[in-house]
Amino acid sequence: MEGGLHWEPEPWGPPGSSLASVLKELPSAATIRYRGPGVLPWGSLEEEEEKDGGRSIQAFAGASQMEQETHPSRELPWPMQARRVHRKNQAGQHGAYSSQSRVGHWARLLTRGQEKMKAGLRGLQPWAWTVKRIGGQFGGGTKSYFSLLRFLLLLNVLASVLVACMVLLPTWLQGTPPGPPGPNASSSCGSYSPHASGLASFASQLFNLLSGEGYLEWSPLFYGFYPARGYLGVTYLCSVFASGLLCLLLILRRSVSGLKQTLLAESGALTSYSHRVFSAWDFGLSGAVHVRLRQRNILYELQVELEEAEVRRRAKARTLGQQARVWLVRGLLNLLVMALLGAAFYGVYWVTEETGRLQEKPLVQQAPLLQLVVSYVPSIFLSTVNVVLPPVFNLIGQLEGYTRSHQIVLILIRTVFLRLASLLVLLFSLWSQITCGGNAQAPECKDCGYNYKELPCWETRVGQEMYKLLLFDLLISLAFALLFQFPRKIFCGLCPGPLGRWAGTLEFQVPDEVLGLIYAQTVVWVGSFFCPLLPLLNTAKFVLLFYLKKLTLFSTCSPAARTFRASMASFFFPLILLLGLVLSAVPVLYSIFLIQPSKLCGPFRGKESIWAQIPESIRTLPRTAQNFFFFLGSQAFAVPLLLISSILMAYTVALANSYGRLISELRRQIETEARNKVFLAQRAVALGSENRPL
Amino acid sequence: MGGSGSRLSKELLAEYQDLTFLTKQEIVQAHRRFSELLPRDKQNVEDSLRERVSFEDILSIPELKANPFKERICKVFSTAPSRDSLSFEDFLDLLSVFSDTATPDIKSHYAFRIFDFDDDGTLDREDLCRLVNCLTGEGEDTQLSASEMKQLIDNILEESDIDRDGTINLSEFQHVISRSPDFVSSFKIVL
Repeated sequence: MEGGLHWEPEPWGPPGSSLASVLKELPSAATIRYRGPGVLPWGSLEEEEEKDGGRSIQAFAGASQMEQETHPSRELPWPMQARRVHRKNQAGQHGAYSSQSRVGHWARLLTRGQEKMKAGLRGLQPWAWTVKRIGGQFGGGTKSYFSLLRFLLLLNVLASVLVACMVLLPTWLQGTPPGPPGPNASSSCGSYSPHASGLASFASQLFNLLSGEGYLEWSPLFYGFYPARGYLGVTYLCSVFASGLLCLLLILRRSVSGLKQTLLAESGALTSYSHRVFSAWDFGLSGAVHVRLRQRNILYELQVELEEAEVRRRAKARTLGQQARVWLVRGLLNLLVMALLGAAFYGVYWVTEETGRLQEKPLVQQAPLLQLVVSYVPSIFLSTVNVVLPPVFNLIGQLEGYTRSHQIVLILIRTVFLRLASLLVLLFSLWSQITCGGNAQAPECKDCGYNYKELPCWETRVGQEMYKLLLFDLLISLAFALLFQFPRKIFCGLCPGPLGRWAGTLEFQVPDEVLGLIYAQTVVWVGSFFCPLLPLLNTAKFVLLFYLKKLTLFSTCSPAARTFRASMASFFFPLILLLGLVLSAVPVLYSIFLIQPSKLCGPFRGKESIWAQIPESIRTLPRTAQNFFFFLGSQAFAVPLLLISSILMAYTVALANSYGRLISELRRQIETEARNKVFLAQRAVALGSENRPL
Repeated sequence: MGGSGSRLSKELLAEYQDLTFLTKQEIVQAHRRFSELLPRDKQNVEDSLRERVSFEDILSIPELKANPFKERICKVFSTAPSRDSLSFEDFLDLLSVFSDTATPDIKSHYAFRIFDFDDDGTLDREDLCRLVNCLTGEGEDTQLSASEMKQLIDNILEESDIDRDGTINLSEFQHVISRSPDFVSSFKIVL
């Protein structure tokens, strides 16, 4: 034993060094060092093996007997040859068992089959290899962006399939859908003639493609095209609810695992240093440059963390006056942020109003190009706001005197708010156009419940807006990459020196990119009721986006200096996605339940509200089915459901509490046991040294 | 697949699949990469299963080359008596532990062994200091100052050393790691 002890730190003193050796011989330490039958235990070199290896191996084997029996071979931390022996033993035992019970055999077959199926499903994932490679070269944060993109693609593909089965198929199964109403077909709610008369020039063709008007307006792309016949209304509505529900479930499933981990991590805000050190290294990193970047990154983070601790300690020692000043600054800055956000929202609202007015002008209506520009003004304004304000928030965040991790979260929350709320403002201004500002008694809205003169088919109009937002978002991404990122890289590569290198180093900003993605998806969710083919278009867009981002990543970007933690991504991204889904449900549900559908277009023409289709079609069912469906909608069903779910929730909370108490109790036990262990070992050492001189 | 014309037998592949967390393709790929490290005349199946590759050669593959923990990784997975070379099965062990599907338990176990620089079964101050130096780079200008290092290690022990014996043992380490959601995603090497 003496051979292995020369490295022991001196401060322990002579009795201490043998104390350490006593502790090392404990069975718990021995189990860790055991590496399976026939293999040297961990940490012992060959000469040691000759001295006392035989004895300790015996002890180790005894100590880990239990472990051997319960674990599958591949989950043992042993080398291959030891695992092979273990597997043989296990197979022998299983052979003995299986003659008695066939259940075990079937269970094993079942698990094998499940594994195979999982592997097969994993094989179906597109771009698995690319995403892995990105993770290897750029770290977990960037990878999480791409896996989110892939997840969103899955959602869109599923939604497209639903639309194809429940909307497109029923439409064509009942014969060719009717053409658009002519200009002279008029009813009490005005007339609607979507087809522009006369020959279309190339410019107006392009305009139609980009704005969804002209020949696109009366096409399967938009709500207005679908005829009101058969069960199309029901399937149309059901497809929207089904895809919404499907998205909700899939996002919940994705966020639950992240949530679990984050809650665990949260509960020990105390362990931040250990995490930073023990799980800091991304073993997938390769390439000397990336490794050096990452090392510098970690050094920087550790230093900042230590400094932050210092700041926190100082903040605790602040006097009341200083504290008040800090809070005053924060309050003022928050007011500034609110003012900026308010101004942005008002701007969006104002621009949308003005655009509507501008489009009426004869000057604009005659020039298709001008018309195109004008119709894109709200989208352009929205995108500009989204480009300009986040850096401002970034600046403000630095002034507030929060710790850096706080800052990032704050900036993210503000940006999310900006992105999603500006979309809501756009929808709000549309709403006020459609319903005359919510005033049902206004002269334009009195007859039909919506502004039929300006918007004879308002659903199609909303769909067109969302269609434009989707296209514009894609165009912006393309233009940004092709006109800014690539040229910048090329020019900076041409001019040498540190300036060129500094300007040429682009970083992949994960938070910004992710927010852009979630914004795009929210637009699609809002629009997919009014524009059923939007998910399909979005699928194509995301595929394109994936390749574009991959190209820019590999050709122009270097790993970010400020990392975005993968754990934050797994929790925060689905949360924002969920927020987007909920926000997008508001306008859709509002228009389904409360606004009168257009009288001249769409599958719900002539109904009181869009939802009215459902009770109406239920009434055509047999008596028992009717009763069942109406029971589902009644209070007699809802109240017990609510009660049961709240009982379940209370139960879960109580369970979690009791587990928490158990954990802290066990922790205390460990501490006392450890103290006992050290005390006993010290006693043993002391006795030994007393006996030796005698 | 087998670029050098060498193929593993079906039984052996099945056995490796059972004993590791790797898929068939990954095993075949690993075998091809391993064979390439051997001298030309040893690249057939029998020899490739028997031969060992020295650390120098194994560390030349790009996936490991720049890793600051590369020597530790090889040492931990080597079953050679003098711990200086890897056999094909050791190499598979390595890839299996670093694969996507390995359990968090086994990953954290091997992480502990990699971070335990003096192989004594616990992480003491010395180990933590070397670990941090590996993370930040060994150069003079990239290291933490002595006082920063002391403060950092004090903080780590304060958080993770549950039984207050001055070192972090495996169960304490696994306790911390199990609450660190980034660990499993970062403890990966892909060929």
